Amino acid sequence: MNMSLGILLATPFVGGILAYLGGKIHRWVRYTFAILFSVLTFCELFFYYGVESANLTWGKLFGSLLVLRLNHLSWLFAFIVTGISMLVVIFSVNDMEEHKGLDFYYLELLFVEGAMLGIVLAGDLITFFMFWEMMSWTSYILVIQNGEMSIKAGYKYIIMSIIGAYSMLVSLGMVFGEAHSLVFSNVSKALAKSSPGFVIAFFILFGIGLLVKAAIMPLHTWLPDAHSEAPSPVSPLLSGVLIKMGAYGLFILFYGLLSVQLLGKLMPTVLSVPLILYIIQWLAAISIVLATFLAILQEDAKRLLAYSSISQIGYVVLGIAAGTSLGIAGGLFHALNHAIFKSLLFFTIGAVIYRTGTRNMSELGGLIKKMPITFTGALIGIVALSGVPPLNGFVSKWMIYEALLQKKEVFLLIFAFVGSTGAFLYLYRFIHSVFLGSLPKKYENVREVPFLMQIPIWILSILAILFGVFPGIAMNVISKAESFFGITPVKYDLYGFPQGSGMGALKVVNISSVLIIAFIIVLVFFYMLPRSKRVSQYDTYAAGQIVTPETKYNYSYGFYMSFGRVVDPIFKWSADKLYTAWSRALKVSGDYMRRVYTGNLETYSSYIVVILTIVAFVILLGGRLW
Amino acid sequence: MVIKEILMAVGIPLLAFSIGIVLMMFKRKIIARIQRRYGPNFVQPLIDIFKLLSKKGNITHGVMYDLGPIIALAASIVVVFFIPIPGMKLMTGSADIIALLYIMVIGSLAMALGAGESANPNSSIGIARALTLMLGYDLPFVIVIITLVLKYHTTNLYVITQMQASSGWAMWFLPLSAIAGIIVTYGALGEHPFDVAVAPHEVATGPMAEYGGKHLGLLMINHAFHIYIELALFVDLFMGGASNIFYFFAKMFVIFVLLIFFDEVLPRFRVDDAVRFYWRWPTILALLGLIIVLVK
Repeated sequence: MNMSLGILLATPFVGGILAYLGGKIHRWVRYTFAILFSVLTFCELFFYYGVESANLTWGKLFGSLLVLRLNHLSWLFAFIVTGISMLVVIFSVNDMEEHKGLDFYYLELLFVEGAMLGIVLAGDLITFFMFWEMMSWTSYILVIQNGEMSIKAGYKYIIMSIIGAYSMLVSLGMVFGEAHSLVFSNVSKALAKSSPGFVIAFFILFGIGLLVKAAIMPLHTWLPDAHSEAPSPVSPLLSGVLIKMGAYGLFILFYGLLSVQLLGKLMPTVLSVPLILYIIQWLAAISIVLATFLAILQEDAKRLLAYSSISQIGYVVLGIAAGTSLGIAGGLFHALNHAIFKSLLFFTIGAVIYRTGTRNMSELGGLIKKMPITFTGALIGIVALSGVPPLNGFVSKWMIYEALLQKKEVFLLIFAFVGSTGAFLYLYRFIHSVFLGSLPKKYENVREVPFLMQIPIWILSILAILFGVFPGIAMNVISKAESFFGITPVKYDLYGFPQGSGMGALKVVNISSVLIIAFIIVLVFFYMLPRSKRVSQYDTYAAGQIVTPETKYNYSYGFYMSFGRVVDPIFKWSADKLYTAWSRALKVSGDYMRRVYTGNLETYSSYIVVILTIVAFVILLGGRLW
Repeated sequence: MVIKEILMAVGIPLLAFSIGIVLMMFKRKIIARIQRRYGPNFVQPLIDIFKLLSKKGNITHGVMYDLGPIIALAASIVVVFFIPIPGMKLMTGSADIIALLYIMVIGSLAMALGAGESANPNSSIGIARALTLMLGYDLPFVIVIITLVLKYHTTNLYVITQMQASSGWAMWFLPLSAIAGIIVTYGALGEHPFDVAVAPHEVATGPMAEYGGKHLGLLMINHAFHIYIELALFVDLFMGGASNIFYFFAKMFVIFVLLIFFDEVLPRFRVDDAVRFYWRWPTILALLGLIIVLVK
């Protein structure tokens, strides 16, 4: 049993190396190894379903044990990691065909999977940090595969990641001096005894590293560039899984290393939430609203989804930092759901890019007739993301709202609601500009994507419906994870939630069955009425004009321009501009420094002469240097 | 028992539809009288629906175009079951008011998707406007909902209604929230000055521009449901429901007539001005109401 945790973790790494070597023989050897090993990792994980805890000590560093451990929470996140990675590998086969350096690409892909698996299985901070860094670097290499722009985006990404990682490293050093061991349980014991200032410093330093990865404003600036410039199959991995590692880390920090009780003792509480968690909740709420508004104004489909990721991860953090059982469950559930529907949306736009070669929404349109399966996937994705029943995003968002209501955190709740309504805007924009509206002439011969690329879309669509109608399936794991960390789990059943203290009841299955019955009745009624004739997209009402392919009307560019006018004053400010100004200031001061350090030997020797003269002069006058 | 449930399942949507359609009939009559016309036949809206449904010259632009009105109507029927009517809590035990907010969106979303497939820029502009406006009125609306939930310590709409029946209407305790609520109802119903989405002179009825025949017939039925839903929700939230269905109708009628009076004399906002308006006055009123409840 113990050894197989190591096997589970080693599988993706071995797979990556084998895929790399196999690629030297033939490309199908490479594909076989990559797919086989990513599926194998996913299957191995199911041997651990329901395992309370498994441990493996795999080394010793600076006198601290290196531990791998698995519990229900790690299982949940490992499920996300291995599941999405598997689909990404499958999707890559066709999508990346034309790409150069594919052997290395698959090596990196499986290494990212392995690194993320390592993070969720880590039982001590050294292992956690090692895999965390490995994830940053391997994913950086995946981001920069796409030419000039992606190298620029990757640069930003890795700079921010390094800042986060150093901050984390400092906190590790601090706590090592205190606890003399970095195994989670020892760290939490040491922190419980430490002074408030120490705990808060540790919290902030460690938290910055996590918040950079979770892309909470104002540390989000790397995300829109990196997620949109990365190759199509990598974006689902980044948006669906990688940013969840930040959320996982935050959970471990809040409830594994520290606890609400401990934080509550150290600092004042607001609405019975420790101040520092309350501040994080506010950062999350602000991220939700601002990222939503930014997403509404995007023209690039992948950038729109990237901003949407910032706002959705805001919900996850908002839930996790709430400190109540319902909020944490909602946050974790939303992390799972977001992985499902955001990866689904990135896969569909990846499919569109594969066939049309553009992700500029105003150039697309009308693809519903050419790519119906991709459209269905995108439709399920947007309905799930917008939090409309009966799909999965609804349940988790509902839980987060109820949790905020329970705690009377009304202003946060208002922000969460507005972000969710704003999501309708950008999601509709996404599906309208890509799949609805009129089809440009150049895309008249576009076909549906190959079967291998449809597989991820199918699987994720089914999961989105399944977890939406039967939230109990996911709640099963989540509630066990909660009780593992000493939090009383929420009451739930397969179909929803019973009435609880301060929360209403929810039976998604009732909502969806009534909806289906009503739908069937109206559908039958509709088809009993006279039949309708199919007309072309040019046969529309245009106030007397005749629409032809040459003079067609389409409303796609600047879809929400009037909304842009409303929120314009807010976006005169931006964190990105602030960082750019800061880096410019650094550069200017560097330029001044360079005037002194010319690199010229004669200048340096003249400096030495000048300094020596001054020193000699001072001594001659009877002064003392020190 | 089963027969009673089946009767209810059929009867309640029919009731909602009849209330909605009767209000539509009154609307046309009242507007005509304000404009010093005689106005159409009282049952004209019903005749219009039958006419549209029996038209033979239907067109379609594709599957989503057909599904739009179908899902919109189905979703409206579903929403009716989650809004309590006098003496019946219906399905409020399966979804509370927070969930209801999102169930109410299904129809609009489907409608938007259907209109989107028609490839008519008027429809697209109409939907862009409707969604922008929705973001506008949603802010005061959620504040109002939160205020009520905090006041009555429950998210169950039926319980909120019942508590008002015994302790007095929320309208009297929270007048500011009620005013914000009624302004939101204007936007949700797309009445002047918030008819930016339909705006016949600008975007040729917006989302409906391309719809005709049986599709438009379904959309008119849906509109009747929509009127019922918005008004019934307001009556349940602020006027304590009613003891029987006639009082329920009377309350809805009063609100609706009030709505028509303003609707008829006001011009139209530009869409960004409408959003600014909603984020300013109704939001301030709603926030004041919320603070009053929080402090108490």
